[in-house]
Amino acid sequence: MIYGDKKTGILVQGATGKQGEFHIGLMNSYARHVGGTGVIAGVTPGKGGKEVHGVPVYNTVKEAMRDHDIAASVIFVPAAAAADSIMEEANAGIQTIVAITEHIPVHDTMKAVAYAKMEGCTVIGPNCPGLLSPGEVKMGIMPAGLFSRGNVGVISRSGTLTYEVVDELTRAGIGQSTVIGIGGDPVIGQTFVDVLEQFKDDQQTKAVILIGEVGGNLEEEGAKSTDLPLVSYIAGISAPPDKRMGHAGAIVEGGEGDARSKIARLRKMGVPVASRPSEIPAMVRDLFQGHC
Amino acid sequence: MKLREYEAKNVIKEAGIPVPAGFLIRSADELTPHLDVLGDAFVLKAQVDVGGRGKAGGILMAGKTDGAKIAKDLFGRQIKGLPVKEILAEQRLDIQHEYYLSITVDRSSRQPLILFTEDGGVDIEITAKEHPEAIRKAIANPLMRDIPLFMLRELIGTAPKEIGPIINKLYRIFIEKDALLAEINPLVTTPQGVYAADAKLIVDDNALGRQGFKVNRDLTDREREAEKHGFSYVELNGTIGVIGNGAGLTMSTLDLIEFYGGKAANFLDVGGGAESERVMHAVRLVGSVPSVKVIVVNLLGGITKCDEVARGIIAADIPQKVIVRLAGTNEAEGRALLLEKGYEMLDTMDLVVKRAVEVAA
Repeated sequence: MIYGDKKTGILVQGATGKQGEFHIGLMNSYARHVGGTGVIAGVTPGKGGKEVHGVPVYNTVKEAMRDHDIAASVIFVPAAAAADSIMEEANAGIQTIVAITEHIPVHDTMKAVAYAKMEGCTVIGPNCPGLLSPGEVKMGIMPAGLFSRGNVGVISRSGTLTYEVVDELTRAGIGQSTVIGIGGDPVIGQTFVDVLEQFKDDQQTKAVILIGEVGGNLEEEGAKSTDLPLVSYIAGISAPPDKRMGHAGAIVEGGEGDARSKIARLRKMGVPVASRPSEIPAMVRDLFQGHC
Repeated sequence: MKLREYEAKNVIKEAGIPVPAGFLIRSADELTPHLDVLGDAFVLKAQVDVGGRGKAGGILMAGKTDGAKIAKDLFGRQIKGLPVKEILAEQRLDIQHEYYLSITVDRSSRQPLILFTEDGGVDIEITAKEHPEAIRKAIANPLMRDIPLFMLRELIGTAPKEIGPIINKLYRIFIEKDALLAEINPLVTTPQGVYAADAKLIVDDNALGRQGFKVNRDLTDREREAEKHGFSYVELNGTIGVIGNGAGLTMSTLDLIEFYGGKAANFLDVGGGAESERVMHAVRLVGSVPSVKVIVVNLLGGITKCDEVARGIIAADIPQKVIVRLAGTNEAEGRALLLEKGYEMLDTMDLVVKRAVEVAA
């Protein structure tokens, strides 16, 4: 698994909001299920001293860090303040920052990601479902019931499509090491390249599924950067040009980033690309017979 | 959202980048007082929110004597189906050389990317393919207010030194206006100095509010209606309506329709945790599209509860057939509700899409 394990202490920013409260409950029920640490502190400015599902809430990240051993965080703060939350956490020294928030202006994300890099921190997202390593840790909003532990890593730009694929994998008896949503925005903290770098050093992970979509060429850059056995699926073959397909980053612009040319480039690199999500499990099995 | 040419030019003019003398007119009569400044030869440019307007007849040359007549003619035209309500009347420049300058968001480095080439004016994509070495690149640090001087020197090469400050001014616009693209093509030299002959600015849709825009003009009426309900919606031209939760899953559903030989009418992402009322609005919105013969609902419930979805579909009560795939939280309750009302339900996205393609055929 990558980016954290059972022992990882998690902080939640936006802890007293509807989303924050709901997901602290789910993350901690997963932590109890696997015998992990889970969410140990929350932050909402002005709500210090409260509790959410028994988790103490602080006014600032630094105050929470003083009382707890925190290595990761999950951000549910509204878009206007989320980039600031990323910087506050990077400044306080939180190693892994998962930003769930959607609709953060791109320039705010660029600044926050650059700042976090300067502080030596890792940002996952924004506009992502976070990550889940079955049997170890859940940092984010993924529905834990679909997952099973195993040797396949999954990196995806989307949320529900990832759950669809994970569901198919689990039904086919293929377990996962870490499933990570890197986010649907044009600027994201961890790209396919960065996550594949982490998977490379992970003993548990034997193959990786890249779930991409229209927009940019980060999938190809990722595939080019690694020696790990890969399977890919790219959504948006029917997406018209110059239209944002739900995600801010899912757009074919200036004739670039369309699904067909992405798929062609990936196949040219020798990466098997599924035409439908339901084809993925069989392709992964072929991969294991060939390489592993 | 893409700014209109005159809006983009106003922004760059305010930042101190010279632009040709120009006037926005809303009728042919409004041209008369400006004829003296515009001179003997000028350009009339239709300000419509559509690309490729030049080829579609939206840009016309005019002179002092025939200007009013040509303007009247242009106001009477439709450019790619859009009426011409505003025209930018602009002085023609005595161009010596054309350069290309743009700033975009670079996904790989997660930083602003500046592109400059001394072979401007022509199609930049062609230059990029045939002479990639002619395009100079620089990656700026988003935490810095200005581009360092060495970087400007590297970018402009042998081009006139006045261009350096212009690149930095455009960079500040890029940052301050929440731009996804700031482009001057061509940037030209004339005997009178350097001018931005054309300018393009695209503002981040997620920053429209703080940039003072009330609506996103890039959206169609129905797309805007969808936005009010918090849906991501894109209109296409097929017969199968598509509702899903999450952009990736919904896109994948569209692709499956194509895979099985059908044509999607739209893309509608209801988002996470949709309650029955939102689902009802989504189904009604898609049902209101005249070409829609059948609707596929593909929802994978995590936060979304299947019984809420079922109640929404039933409440929408539209004439078209709705075929449903529901999986996840409260699945049994949702299925029971739909079954009671006689809705067709299938277990996987492949099956539900295949069936919809059959029904639409």
